[in-house]
Amino acid sequence: MMRKALAGFAAVALVAGTAWFVAPHHAIAQGGGTVEVEVKYNGAADVQVIKVNKDTEQCGKEAKVENVVVGGGKGLANAVASIAGAKGAATAKKATMDQKGCSFHPHVVGMTPGEIDILNSDGILHNIHTYSTANASINKAQPKFKKTMTEKFEKPEFIKVTCDVHSWMLGWIAVMPHPYFGVTNAEGVAKIENAPAGKQTVEVWHEKLGKVTKDVEVKPGATTKVTVEMVKK
Amino acid sequence: MPGWRSPIRAHLLRWLVGPLPAAYRNTPQSGRSSPPRIWTLLRDLFHAVVGRRAGAVSLVLGACLVAAIACAPSEASAQAGDANAGKAVYERKCALCHGSKGDGKGPAAELLDPKPRDFTSGVYKIRTTANKVPSDQDLFRIVTAGMPGTSMPPWDVLPEKDRWNVVAYIKAFAAEKFKEAPKKLDLPKDVSSSEASIKRGKEMFEAIECHKCHGTAGRADGPSRPELKDDWGHPIPPANLTKRWTFRGGASRTDIATRIANGVLGTPMPSFIDSVEKPEDVWHLTNYILSLGPDRPAYATLVTINGTTDAIPDDPNADFWKKAAPNHVPLMAQVIIDPRNFNPAIDLLIVRGAYNDKEIVFHLTWDDPSQTAGDAAKKIAADAVALQFPSKIVPGTERPYFLMGDATDSVYLLRWEGGKASEATANGPGKIKALDGGEITSKTVYDNGQYRVVIRRPLAGKGDERPALQPATFVPVAFHASDGGAGESGAKGSLTSWYYLRLEPPQSNRRFVVPPVVALLTLVAMLLVVRAASRGRN
Repeated sequence: MMRKALAGFAAVALVAGTAWFVAPHHAIAQGGGTVEVEVKYNGAADVQVIKVNKDTEQCGKEAKVENVVVGGGKGLANAVASIAGAKGAATAKKATMDQKGCSFHPHVVGMTPGEIDILNSDGILHNIHTYSTANASINKAQPKFKKTMTEKFEKPEFIKVTCDVHSWMLGWIAVMPHPYFGVTNAEGVAKIENAPAGKQTVEVWHEKLGKVTKDVEVKPGATTKVTVEMVKK
Repeated sequence: MPGWRSPIRAHLLRWLVGPLPAAYRNTPQSGRSSPPRIWTLLRDLFHAVVGRRAGAVSLVLGACLVAAIACAPSEASAQAGDANAGKAVYERKCALCHGSKGDGKGPAAELLDPKPRDFTSGVYKIRTTANKVPSDQDLFRIVTAGMPGTSMPPWDVLPEKDRWNVVAYIKAFAAEKFKEAPKKLDLPKDVSSSEASIKRGKEMFEAIECHKCHGTAGRADGPSRPELKDDWGHPIPPANLTKRWTFRGGASRTDIATRIANGVLGTPMPSFIDSVEKPEDVWHLTNYILSLGPDRPAYATLVTINGTTDAIPDDPNADFWKKAAPNHVPLMAQVIIDPRNFNPAIDLLIVRGAYNDKEIVFHLTWDDPSQTAGDAAKKIAADAVALQFPSKIVPGTERPYFLMGDATDSVYLLRWEGGKASEATANGPGKIKALDGGEITSKTVYDNGQYRVVIRRPLAGKGDERPALQPATFVPVAFHASDGGAGESGAKGSLTSWYYLRLEPPQSNRRFVVPPVVALLTLVAMLLVVRAASRGRN
């Protein structure tokens, strides 16, 4: 009886220990793989078109509010796919977000904690108004002569960015705790490069549809494809 | 300084030991650092009195010391408020609007615009700090001075200690946010106002596109105005820069420069300290904004219109009207009958006028950020103003009910709606009857968020329903205004109670002739007397 219990305990401990060993150590595993995440959405696109009453030279006569953008093959654009719970150093390349045609480009920009350059290609007044909770929210004017503004976001979170001068402008800055993330393109595909090999959980975030996760086995030196479906909330 | 009244004791103390109230306003505790006035006072007293009555000196000295000692401790302890003591004051004075939980959802909140502050958010519009955390002085100042243009009154009726305690209690609603220490914002070096500075300010105003929200002339009519929302999603209008007495955070130079540099947290107003060409541009902008309007309007108690023998022009922009004396009439919310209008869009009507022996011409100026001609299908009313007179002007002080009369006493309305003038009689807001066949004309100019309207009417009243306006008498007059673009119409607008209108007869040129002639004759008479007297002596 006693022996059985001991063996049982040992087995449980072994499993738990392995699980513990596997999970965090994947993050620093040698030879990562690429994860190609395809995000599908079964619902309809939600893109509002608004008449523009000012700055039509730069903004055009109509503006789009891209709430949910669905591409060919029901691919969901502007979603952030990442390896949940991974750890890794910040990327060396500084992220940039441009204000062009009175909209934010890209609509969702991913970055690791640090600095981001916010450009004003329009050459008219915009204001960067962030709605953040972990980082200090900012509301800074960026007049025409201020071509670049550098801001710092140190804490991971998804930050909504608006411009009060052009109220339809909406963008997101995804501050990710590690470099293993990608933003889906117009076809709904995101590539996570150098993802830690082994069993991982892919987490997909979308500004309107929330979060979905899916387990995946990342093979070192190879591309692993995974399809994640998001549903209308 | 609007609403900045402190208890007499505080004034006395400040006079004795501190700087002037202007300095006090920004840094309530800074009195300690300036040379204590009490010593110069004592020195002067000593010089004045010593050697005559030493007893008086010691008496005065003693009294001063007692006063200083009695007052000093309360001021010193005032800064660190007691949140528990503040709770009692809060429940009594603040909770009705701000809610007992501090979430800005008190029973009265529904009726207010702007909405009361949600203290649990820890976000404060008015602050002199570089980070998001306001200083205790910032909060104390708002509690004390209130917020012009909002429902927040000045609470200077409360003892100073209570106000500090309330500040401590308010902070406790967002204790987490207040863990960060406030960091003082350093403004660039002050640049005093000059023609060159105002010019530079205007250039910068255009370069950084302040007009997008505040309008080209600063009248809050920028193209982005309809889109503006605060962080809670409530529509929020930009400030009318020509009416700085309505600035939420005060209208002093430092207040304005601080708002430009810092932005207004939780609103669309961004921070500009890093977004002007040179830091001192903040001051040039301040000087320009200060040049856009008066400190506060000199409100009229009597509406005076002068007679003239010249032609009275139709064009609202004519020089003639620039020379005519303005009567600034404040308009109040119509909150007596449904639909009540707690937050009227039009708060000031500038009345000018002129008359001759045949007609009277009114020239009205008011700010309205959206020119609205009205659209019945969309249920949008046209912008409108009206001058109201009793239908029958009788001697004595009795007048019809000011809100468009009542069943027994009617009023006559000289109306302007969406660019057209008309006449009507009314026996109450719901009983308005148009008057046809009058000889009314009007001309309208709408320019950068401001209406300028000329309305012309015969001086004599045609028929029983139109009162004759007699020069050199006191004619009761009241005013109504509504901004269709802001969802106002008819009685849902702003208005005044009865004023008196006085038509001053044209002053003849005799006043320039008669007194000098009298003076000359007097002089001649005096000379004659002197001459006669000196002859008599010889």
